[in-house]
Amino acid sequence: MTRHERRVVGAAAAGLLMAAAGVGAASAGGSHVDGEGAETLTVWTYYVTGGQIDALDAQNEMFEQTHPGVKIDHVQIPFDQLAPRLLAGAATGDGPDVVLDNVVVDFPALAASGALLDLTPYWDAYPDAEQFPDSAVWRTDDGIFNVMSYTNLLAMYYNADVLDEYGIAPPTTIEELESAMAIVAEAGDYTPLSMSGVATPEGAWMFMPLLLSQGVGYCNLDEPSVEGAFTTLQGWADNDYIPTETATWDQADAWLAFASGDYAFGFNGNWNLGELAGLDFTAGTVQLPSNGSEGSVVFPGGEAIGIGSFSDNQDLAWEYIQSGWMSQEASLINFNTTGQIPTRADLADAPDLQANELVQPFVAAAGSTANWPASPNTAAMQNAMGQAGSAVISGALSPADAASQVVSDVTSEIADGGGSC
Amino acid sequence: MLTTATASSGSGSRSPVRLAVTRFTQQPWGYLLPAVIILGALAVFPLIQLARMSLSEVGPRTIVGPWEFIGWSNFRKAFGDRIFWQSVRATGTFTLVLLVVDLVVGYLGAAVLSSGTWSTNLALRIMVFVWALPPIVSGSVWRFLLAGNGAINSLLGLVGMESVDWLSSPDRALLSVSLVAAWASLPFSILVIHGGLLSLPTDVIEAARIDGAGFWGLSRHIVLPILRPTLAVLTVLIILYAFRSFDFVYVMTEGGPGTVTTTLPYFAYNTAFKTYQFGVASALAMVSMLVVIVLAVPYMLGLRKEHAG
Repeated sequence: MTRHERRVVGAAAAGLLMAAAGVGAASAGGSHVDGEGAETLTVWTYYVTGGQIDALDAQNEMFEQTHPGVKIDHVQIPFDQLAPRLLAGAATGDGPDVVLDNVVVDFPALAASGALLDLTPYWDAYPDAEQFPDSAVWRTDDGIFNVMSYTNLLAMYYNADVLDEYGIAPPTTIEELESAMAIVAEAGDYTPLSMSGVATPEGAWMFMPLLLSQGVGYCNLDEPSVEGAFTTLQGWADNDYIPTETATWDQADAWLAFASGDYAFGFNGNWNLGELAGLDFTAGTVQLPSNGSEGSVVFPGGEAIGIGSFSDNQDLAWEYIQSGWMSQEASLINFNTTGQIPTRADLADAPDLQANELVQPFVAAAGSTANWPASPNTAAMQNAMGQAGSAVISGALSPADAASQVVSDVTSEIADGGGSC
Repeated sequence: MLTTATASSGSGSRSPVRLAVTRFTQQPWGYLLPAVIILGALAVFPLIQLARMSLSEVGPRTIVGPWEFIGWSNFRKAFGDRIFWQSVRATGTFTLVLLVVDLVVGYLGAAVLSSGTWSTNLALRIMVFVWALPPIVSGSVWRFLLAGNGAINSLLGLVGMESVDWLSSPDRALLSVSLVAAWASLPFSILVIHGGLLSLPTDVIEAARIDGAGFWGLSRHIVLPILRPTLAVLTVLIILYAFRSFDFVYVMTEGGPGTVTTTLPYFAYNTAFKTYQFGVASALAMVSMLVVIVLAVPYMLGLRKEHAG
């Protein structure tokens, strides 16, 4: 079977699976020249929040001004469908010029599928490459496929007006947080905490810091530690510190709940910082409260940029990544609009970052992150953790049963992925 | 016209090619060929590929490259997954709720709406609108309505009742999603049954009424037996619809809390597009298809036999 035939076959099968699951067909991508002679670069993202979209528009405008004759066509794809569409594109030889993907979950699959171009030649020739830490450059044995111009981290937002009302200081440990939540819950005017607990990697990302601060991650999960963390989570649900519907809330739902002003605390990411100005209350931020010897530890997150393997204009796409994302100017536009923290070392002391008090807990969090497992089955591990956490919050499973289940699932995924972690 | 044209042109003067074309176009299968080609390309070929995929090792690394044949391994993996059996039960519950609501409420609704007044005609038009709503839209609306601080709980609060965790309680989430899916498919059932009611022989109905039959007597002894073929087809369509129970689960609960609302199609989606095990996901899709065939085909064959008898 030729490569072309295999693509047709792959496309048909992927299309049928997507149709069976009710997922729409991927929109066409790739650079092209429009009727006015302008060259168009297609950029896929799953951005939905105002801040991220505003930053993207501003960065695109900057790039278009410095590159006359180039237009950026931004295609918004639902979060869950971006990776499937890239994979379906890999089967048909189609895809975007540039993509911002959920690297921490999808990188192993995307890099292995051939959907992303190997950026090694570009990266080796990039004069600013040394400004970026290793954690911002996502590679496999076959090359570099994603780079991160910014990182996203979790911290805790608080409603300063509510804390003032009850005389509560921003908590730094889980113990302090639970005392504060007890006060808020007892008063009954506000719900103590909004967080995501959905049965997906999103929920797992928000829950994992409870384990990471004890030095436990996916690669060294043990039932007693997981059961202990799940018991904490169950206690929050039982004491009405978090609503039961946390079990189906994604991060956007959790943010909307906090932004409503009805919540005292909210676990969420720095990409929401840009929206604080529009809130009806004064908000503050602190690092996620910790409950273990390791202090506050989170997984690094955020989107990474890649070039589609089937882009017709790969050089222009790299130019867009360099100027529109990785440059100092673009990174600062992005930071000032969204609060997403630049990965460039030469911006660590930039006045824009230093002057923003609200971003400091996130900057501090960037200095105490855990490593993601280096396994092709990372997504499956996170999925299993998300399902277990959601089950505990809703009461579908006891902490002991959920811990036993997730430890078994993750262990089996590590083994299935080749045993390395 | 055709006879005249053939006679006047004279078959002896025709080239063999023209003759072959003429013979070809005169055969019924010649006219069927375009449909067969389209069906083969868009339905049969992908189904064959799905079957191949379910018997092969297909992951992100191999979706483009050659697929290694691994026999029933994907099926064994699917059957060995604890979520599989839970998703089978969830799909069964989902199907049962849809069948009960769509057939029982559908029949009662169609009976009420068959009076043909302006208000019933208006109701039928509104139902067509509800039916035409994309599930992503109606599912999102219901998700907000059923949220902790949503309209339904606000209404309960107004009458002094406690809020209900419609979508996050493990005891209620599946029922809530199933009922929303049933709400969305109910207009279709009502319209189908309504069409069947309109075709009932009025003289038989009138005679039964004169003999003193009430609504239930009429329904049991006359209407339902006559509508049986319609209801049988509707039942099969509802089962097919239930086994495609992806949209509302995806929008309203993402399979949670935990895996409580993970139906077979959602499990297949999760396996394919969240954990990238395309081979196992194809095996799940094949199992779904097989279940539908097992449920639907004997019923349809029995119905055909009954008609023939």
